[in-house]
Amino acid sequence: MIKVEKVTKDYGGHVAVNDISFEIKDGEIVGFLGPNGAGKTSTMNMITGFIEATSGKIEVNGYDISKKSKKAKREIGYMPETTPLYNELTPKEFINYMAELKGVGKKERKEEVERILKAVNIEDVQNKLIRNLSRGYRQRVSLAGALVGNPKVLILDEPTVGLDPKQVIQIRNLIKSLGKDHTVILSSHILSEISQICEKVIIINKGNLVAIDTPENLENKVKSENVLLVTVEDPDEKIEEIVKTMNNVKTLKQIKELPDGTKEYSIVAKENKDIRKEIFEVFAKNGITIFELKKSEATLEEAFISLIDKQNENKKGGDK
Amino acid sequence: MWAIIKKEVKTYFLSPLGYVFIGAFLFVSSIFFYLFSHSIGSVEFANLFFYTAELLTFTIALLTMGMFAGERKNGTEVLLFTSSRSITSIVIGKFIAALVVIAITEIISLIYYVIICCFAGGLTNVPETIAVLIGTILLAMSYISFGGFISSLTDNQIIAGILTIILLLATWFLPNISPVFMMLAPTTLFERFTTGVIPVADTIGLLSQTLLFTLLTITVLQRKKNLK
Repeated sequence: MIKVEKVTKDYGGHVAVNDISFEIKDGEIVGFLGPNGAGKTSTMNMITGFIEATSGKIEVNGYDISKKSKKAKREIGYMPETTPLYNELTPKEFINYMAELKGVGKKERKEEVERILKAVNIEDVQNKLIRNLSRGYRQRVSLAGALVGNPKVLILDEPTVGLDPKQVIQIRNLIKSLGKDHTVILSSHILSEISQICEKVIIINKGNLVAIDTPENLENKVKSENVLLVTVEDPDEKIEEIVKTMNNVKTLKQIKELPDGTKEYSIVAKENKDIRKEIFEVFAKNGITIFELKKSEATLEEAFISLIDKQNENKKGGDK
Repeated sequence: MWAIIKKEVKTYFLSPLGYVFIGAFLFVSSIFFYLFSHSIGSVEFANLFFYTAELLTFTIALLTMGMFAGERKNGTEVLLFTSSRSITSIVIGKFIAALVVIAITEIISLIYYVIICCFAGGLTNVPETIAVLIGTILLAMSYISFGGFISSLTDNQIIAGILTIILLLATWFLPNISPVFMMLAPTTLFERFTTGVIPVADTIGLLSQTLLFTLLTITVLQRKKNLK
């Protein structure tokens, strides 16, 4: 369990993290979201004990990171965003060194290194110098460094950046499987990734906590409007007239004209009304051919953007 | 700590640094050996070793400049400082690793002593030799802790290296400014080891310099953690 209580990080006047509190339970996979410079990495660095919080308290599995740092750090595996590695070592040597640093006993070490090499799938380059590895491999060696010693809490800063699609899926599956008996915090810019892997999302912006909820709830929050997307062939340009006659439609807006002569519109319907059937029948009667008709799903991305925008506006308002 | 020592020593010899350090040291030692022993037929080893030890002023920076500056530049310090190792054990681990390289160099340069012994027909100047070897290690300890301290202040290895050399060189001239500074100049403290006795005051002097700069390094790293 990770407990963050009223944590602030002040870099001499610039507040990177402002009075953040949250709790992460055992076995949860939590996504950390926020625009660049929001304070994600600062928060992660504080949880791992790399930097000291200006004020506030952080507990990892019951150990205070600044008072019982040795015990707390033993619980954590950290993969920093910049994937720092010792270029003059081979992946195998690096993982072995990390195992030693984390106090893995001499007897278990060899087995542990083999297990990790296999888990992140870098057995084929284990004896090459890290200096000569490609970005994707470096990324995985760095992840291996976090996993070694089987720490209960994993903190992964952008773990899938720079991987090819196949590796991304591998690493996501690995993280998912780790989530069964580990507490995982991961940050990512890829929102679909977060909504796939994480059970909970923490959104921070400009150092402030904006939201903490499940991805589904966040999506539902912005899904207040009932929007349909429809692509039609409308030779007589009658669509606007027809839509006006429909009682349940609020607005109609053309999104784009496609090269094959069809047009895509968004239709906002009244809340809680499914008007797809009505549209289908009315359009067909009036000689408009429907090529595609679908409900617009709110994504985590939209939730994210709307939350961030809302907070920025509030801030601006507050400043005035 | 053992893990850090092992890895650091290994790194010295995986990069050219370790070899350059030992090579440069032995190269100049050989020239000194030729000038001060071979060409004038002297069997005095302590004197030769005194000059070669002073060489450390210029070469120690090779071992110390990257100690913390390099890790900071590469970002690898996060790996060290988020492992469960304390800052103290990291600093001491790196210190011992550099000292191991010095010890290896010392052992190799004993070859000059062996050659001298061959010509002298048996062991010669034993107390002087032992004293000067111990003195060299103590001098190296003081220098390493100082170089490590400078390295902890910056993230630029070159600046750390040059600053270390300049400041260590400056200590040579400290006694010239005022005799009060005698105890602050590592080379002055080292001088008396060549006489074949181990001077207690000078030993304590070098050891306290080592302790002072090691503590300062730990403090700097701790402070940086708060400021970062």
